[in-house]
Amino acid sequence: MARKRSPARLIIALSIAAVLAIFLLYTSIAGGGTPSVKPSQLGGQTGTVALVGRVVGAPTGDAHAGGLRFRLRDVQNPKGTTVPVVYTGTVPDLFATGRDIVVEGKLENGTFVATRDSMVTKCPSKYSATKPAGQ
Amino acid sequence: MAELGRAALVVTLGLCVYATVAGSYAAARRRRRLAGSARNALIAAFGSTVVAAGVLAAGFLRSDFSLTYVAQHSNRTLGRAYKLSAFWGGQEGSLLLWLLILTGYAALAVWLNRNRARDLVVWVAPVLAGIAVGFAFLLVAVASPFDVQAAPADGAGLNPSLQNPYMMAHPPFLYLGYVGLAVPFAFAMGALLSGRTDERWIVATRRWTLVAWTALGVGQLLGAHWAYVEVGWGGYYAWDPVENAALMPFLAATAFLHSVMIQEKRGMLKVWNVVLVALAFCLSIFGTFLTRSGVVNSIHSFSESNIGPWFLAFIFVAVAFATTLIVWRLPLLRSKTRLESLVSREAVFLYNNLLLVALCLTILWGVAWPILSEAVRGTTVVVGRPYYDFFLRIFGLPLLLLMGIGPMIAWRRASLRGLGRTFLWPFLISVAVGLVLLWRGAGSSVPGLIAYTFSAFVLAAIALEFIRGTRARKALASESWPGALFSLIGRNRRRYGGYIVHVAIVFLAIGIAGSAYDSVVEGKLAPGQSLRVAGYSVLYQRLVERDTPHAAEVRAQLLVSRDGKVLGPLEAGKNSFKIAGPDPQVSSEVGIRTNYLTGEDLFVIPEQINADGSVYFRIFVKPLVNLIWLAGFVFLFGSIIALWPDAREQRRLAVRYEEAGGTVRGT
Repeated sequence: MARKRSPARLIIALSIAAVLAIFLLYTSIAGGGTPSVKPSQLGGQTGTVALVGRVVGAPTGDAHAGGLRFRLRDVQNPKGTTVPVVYTGTVPDLFATGRDIVVEGKLENGTFVATRDSMVTKCPSKYSATKPAGQ
Repeated sequence: MAELGRAALVVTLGLCVYATVAGSYAAARRRRRLAGSARNALIAAFGSTVVAAGVLAAGFLRSDFSLTYVAQHSNRTLGRAYKLSAFWGGQEGSLLLWLLILTGYAALAVWLNRNRARDLVVWVAPVLAGIAVGFAFLLVAVASPFDVQAAPADGAGLNPSLQNPYMMAHPPFLYLGYVGLAVPFAFAMGALLSGRTDERWIVATRRWTLVAWTALGVGQLLGAHWAYVEVGWGGYYAWDPVENAALMPFLAATAFLHSVMIQEKRGMLKVWNVVLVALAFCLSIFGTFLTRSGVVNSIHSFSESNIGPWFLAFIFVAVAFATTLIVWRLPLLRSKTRLESLVSREAVFLYNNLLLVALCLTILWGVAWPILSEAVRGTTVVVGRPYYDFFLRIFGLPLLLLMGIGPMIAWRRASLRGLGRTFLWPFLISVAVGLVLLWRGAGSSVPGLIAYTFSAFVLAAIALEFIRGTRARKALASESWPGALFSLIGRNRRRYGGYIVHVAIVFLAIGIAGSAYDSVVEGKLAPGQSLRVAGYSVLYQRLVERDTPHAAEVRAQLLVSRDGKVLGPLEAGKNSFKIAGPDPQVSSEVGIRTNYLTGEDLFVIPEQINADGSVYFRIFVKPLVNLIWLAGFVFLFGSIIALWPDAREQRRLAVRYEEAGGTVRGT
């Protein structure tokens, strides 16, 4: 009896090809995601990035009127460069001076202009599921 | 007391090492008495782990802050129930819970199977013990929950957002699920080690897999509901790495639950099944690693810890072990039969499996992408919601449709006439539903419209199955309609339990797809002003302040009306918890008004409360979202039916496996 090629193999091969095709299609349309950078690395970035940093100084302004203004520095480096951020939209409950946050946005004329509702806070001290903003 | 706890863990480690080494030797050399001793050591390891867990629980209940772990996660004012749930509030306690559940499952599994399929089970004990060695070692040497200190006056307390009934139930359920996957994994590895690669290991572990899978599903829904009502950003799933960590093993286990049916009925997909169960188990370890290592930026930021490399080593060993075994035993894993047609139940189950695994792997890719891009390009690149949503649609929608086809299509080869008979009505109904929805304006979201059309198809197909089955039963036994339905389900618990679970998944899909039709409005309101959204009008009346023993509460009192008719009051505000500590203990308390008839929620987030008494609100109207929570109950109900012991099935299987020369029975 001649062994016929199993259709199961054909299906698997075809689906792997299909998945790869979808993948390539997706990455070519949507790009490969957002780079995640620290304030000290922000200099050369021109596109949209996710900025990870610790809030220093007292925040001013209103996130729902004109924008909340604060500065971020590298989490690991207390003496490092800071970058001014202007943010609008939902402010998570845990946002405060000294807290680690992630905001998405773009550097414009030396100020990091955050995408609306993009702020996510991290709680460094202990187990805590915190609030992702605006999703 | 701390010494007792630490000693108990050392004893557990010793017993597990012994069970691994002696058990493997006994299995390889066929020493029955030694194998019995290894099995008993594993059962004893559960006993000593219970002692360790008891010591830690007692430490929490007695507020013994000389235990560093207790001091970090509890305080005196915490309620008794939350003191207990603080047990798994941190890393060390979570690991201990892992070990407790693992040794508990292991003891039960080897005990229940002590007289069945001996040649297979002798290998199960050392594999389970080997997994337990990993966790016991971590608890003894790296992350001990029994470190002591000079007792402070009070502990740091439990984060207020975790002081919630959901947070008491959510982690243990997830762990019951994660850890439960170790049992089918151990049986699969046992089957490979012993060379007994027939479907007995699958029959023996069907219920174990179902229990683990159900717990994982319920655990995730509990977490989602907690996020929805408590965290309050208007969603329930954020594609966060830690959430994905629970979803990935669930998807792999779902694929496994389906593909084992093909092996049971048709003797196919043997390699695939052991690969899937190994994947599910390794992903559950990976999930624990992600949660605990801090390697990926997550909103669930657990304290960064030193156990990351250990977990990585653990995953590496597990993957290498499983891969080696599978490659070694490949010759024994040949299929008995082959796929005859691309239009058959086997084939549809295969498509379902490929889609589930594809979804699982794309999620894994998204989770690992920051690490990979860092390694390759030097910059960390994160993928967000659009990536995951895209693949959920690409793979999830066909999966939804297959749910209406797979269980009804014929085995081996489906005929055109058979297809017509089975699917004509569901097809017509779904087309009709699609057209009606299109006419009502559901076309604003194409994926949403597709999801609803497919959902209608699946529900109609399942309903038809129930009607046909009941009618046949009624004709056969001349019972009443409800009696016939009842005995139909009772006699085919796996099948009809499965259908009910499918209904739950359809509800889930409808609820999730409903988010495509969310309405939202936001704005700053002074008392007396109102916002309108999707027919609702929300009037902000006044701001009130209340003082409770635990928190200072601020509440905006609202009046909700719809189409001019007053529906009633609603409150939303913020709590400032009276707990000393480094965290600002403020939490938003959203206001939710549910319409139980339509499953729609009005969801009010008090974004910002200003000093002048004005409040910045964001208000959602979320159609059908409550079907997600309803799905949870239906899911549990269906799973329990599928799990319920069935004497008839046991007898059938017993006969079958005596013929096959074994004496295994489903457990």
